[in-house]
Amino acid sequence: MQELVDLTSKLLQNGDVNVVIGYEEGPRGVRPVVAATPDDCRRLIFDHRAVHNLATYLSPRRKHLRVRGRAAVVLKGCDAAAVATLLRERQLKRDDVVLIGVRCGGVYRTTTAEGALSADNVADRCGGCALREPTLVDHLVGDLPPEPPTAGQRAARIAALEELSPAERFDYWRRSLADCVRCNACRAVCPLCVCERCVADKTDPQWIESSPHLRGNFSWHMARALHLAGRCVDCGECQRACPAGIPLTVINGKVGQVMGARFGFRPTDDPDAPAPIGTFDPDDSQEFIR
Amino acid sequence: MSNEQKYLSESEFDALVRELIASGKRVVAPVAAEDDLEPQADYRAVSDPAKIVLDGPLPRRSLKEFFLPATEALLRWRLKKGDVALDETEADYPETVVVGASPCDAAALPTVDRVMDWDYRDEPWFGRREATVVISRACPGRDSSCFCPVVGLAPDSTRGADVMLYPSGEDAGGYLVEVITERGAALVAAHSKHFQAPREPAGVARLREEARARVDGNSSARPDEIRRWLDKNFEHELWDRLAERCHGCGACAAVCPTCHCFDIVDEPEGGDSGTRRRNWDTCQAAVFTLHGSGHNPRETQNARFRQRVLHKFAIYPERFGEILCTGCGRCVRACPGGMDLPEILEELGRLATSSQSAGGTP
Amino acid sequence: MSEATATRTPPAVDAFEPKIIAFVCNWCTYTGADLAGTSRLQMAPNVRIIRLPCTGRIDPLFIVKAFERGADGVIVSGCHPGDCHYTAGNFHARRRFAVAREIMGFLGIDLDRVTFSWVSASEGGKWSEVVNETTARVRKLGPFNTYRDLVAGS
Repeated sequence: MQELVDLTSKLLQNGDVNVVIGYEEGPRGVRPVVAATPDDCRRLIFDHRAVHNLATYLSPRRKHLRVRGRAAVVLKGCDAAAVATLLRERQLKRDDVVLIGVRCGGVYRTTTAEGALSADNVADRCGGCALREPTLVDHLVGDLPPEPPTAGQRAARIAALEELSPAERFDYWRRSLADCVRCNACRAVCPLCVCERCVADKTDPQWIESSPHLRGNFSWHMARALHLAGRCVDCGECQRACPAGIPLTVINGKVGQVMGARFGFRPTDDPDAPAPIGTFDPDDSQEFIR
Repeated sequence: MSNEQKYLSESEFDALVRELIASGKRVVAPVAAEDDLEPQADYRAVSDPAKIVLDGPLPRRSLKEFFLPATEALLRWRLKKGDVALDETEADYPETVVVGASPCDAAALPTVDRVMDWDYRDEPWFGRREATVVISRACPGRDSSCFCPVVGLAPDSTRGADVMLYPSGEDAGGYLVEVITERGAALVAAHSKHFQAPREPAGVARLREEARARVDGNSSARPDEIRRWLDKNFEHELWDRLAERCHGCGACAAVCPTCHCFDIVDEPEGGDSGTRRRNWDTCQAAVFTLHGSGHNPRETQNARFRQRVLHKFAIYPERFGEILCTGCGRCVRACPGGMDLPEILEELGRLATSSQSAGGTP
Repeated sequence: MSEATATRTPPAVDAFEPKIIAFVCNWCTYTGADLAGTSRLQMAPNVRIIRLPCTGRIDPLFIVKAFERGADGVIVSGCHPGDCHYTAGNFHARRRFAVAREIMGFLGIDLDRVTFSWVSASEGGKWSEVVNETTARVRKLGPFNTYRDLVAGS
């Protein structure tokens, strides 16, 4: 994408930024890259394989990137929503970063997919996306591609799980979470797991058992979902990183549905929009409270 | 090939697996991953040979969890009037036959044996090793992430296998069987009725050659040169930038057949009892080296990734004479950030070559 | 059940008696429970109370931890909306409980095992109802060792 190459080269040449975080063609597919020279910028690309949420590299935990200085970062709309959350939670200063939005026509679910975007290979979050032209940007590049198709598998799976009895659902998650080895990859890649010290790493008291047995795994996955409720932008990086293939976006999707139905929440790239958890309405529904 | 050979037909393979299961052995084999949108495979204990998929994708996690489980109880404690009672957990080393191990997974086992029998003998590891027979299946050579030739292996390496199956290449399926170890010979002898007289089906040699051709060109890195360079370049500027895209998530270590680091934790259950467990751990996590004082000697992800490369290609070879990597490529495929070990080895190889020529005769 | 029959026919030793943990706020429900006691209201003896400053202090992980340690049911209770001693603690808690409850249900925890209620300092009668209803419901569901014993075999 020449427009992107020209823009980022100029940003580096003018000294506006020290590095550009974008996508490149790696030896085995598209991957993130930290470009430090105009020459590096020639490698920058953007297409349906740009699955990764680069906002995660802006997290304050990335000390090895902070030392590189001011960064520009290439963002899809969904990624910009993660940046908005970082700003809302004061994890990032707006002036410390240059945001390059890309008009987006959807991405694959995996980095290895090929061919035209279809309901079978498109990421769950893409269908009906309201953020295809992010507004939380300093620069916006590309032409607006056609709307992406809608993937139905996740919604269908959530609905199917809800049909089951609690005991059957418990069995489903027992089988699925049995594979979790608690490598914490889901946490490490998440752009919004920003805690310096995670509750799951605390040992005194130990609220979440750190061992990858089912009891610890249930506790961890409940805590993860809960701590991301109303913050998760549904980028799906956790599931992509999971070496055990746990359907984490099914949990995230369910939480997203709850946040939408109860509090009207949708991921947004407006950093001034209130977060649903941490705010309240005196008239919130309380049908579950006696 | 000077080892004993046999032939195993497709139907006798199924019958053999059924017989193993019926004899009370746990049979572990690659099966299609349940509940996943992409075609994936996992090693699982199976109860039905029809579930086994020997020609599917490389299982996403290695075999190591059957020898070093992601979590295992070591002992239980109970507080008793100012005293502590310790209960050893019962050893659980089920008789196991792995059917259809990938050669890169089997090869990892004798490599990890070295550290497990170093400063003390790790009883659970060897308990399970000794209770297990490994039947490998020659690999077809997977994709561009494979780099087993770099570490001295090949898609048909027999290292770590007790019995090796080579697909016949014939329409009817079937395998040329090579007996590698005494343990393998005992298994074949005990189930001899399933094995036929040795014959080398015509397709075997062709398939082995094709498999090698698929992975041989993936990397030209030379680990011995790389190791010499690593020994002298702990502070090289390469390390300052190497892991910028790395998330430190440790997915690489979770899927790695040779990563074996663990953490010991005490988990209380109520006020006066609890369990001591050992759980997988990874040097890619910031907390791995975090001191109680708050100091972290591996402060950044760059330092942590350097540790991963050093341990595999310099420290372990120095201590045990073996590279702690089988070139399976899982770390490449699993990485959400695009970290690419064969690419990094190529880069290290280039640096090693240029520093050698710079230091050589003018 | 009158007091007299309760003392005369103790439950069979092997009958299931649910263990229920109640996380309550200091200002309303704890005082309400105290009132229930001083008013000599009859209540199922299955509930162990853990007092916290405010429902806002009740992390949903407390509920999970109770199940981990063998609770068969959990009650979470505090001041009615508008009555919070800290003005808004229960408003914040209400949102968190709403989400946590649905996540737990989605992961397969039977939500009949968890009761959320508002019980004020003057509602001793309501507290005894919450206790009795929850106990009866959980007794019908049976023990929840399944959760505690998730650790078994690994």
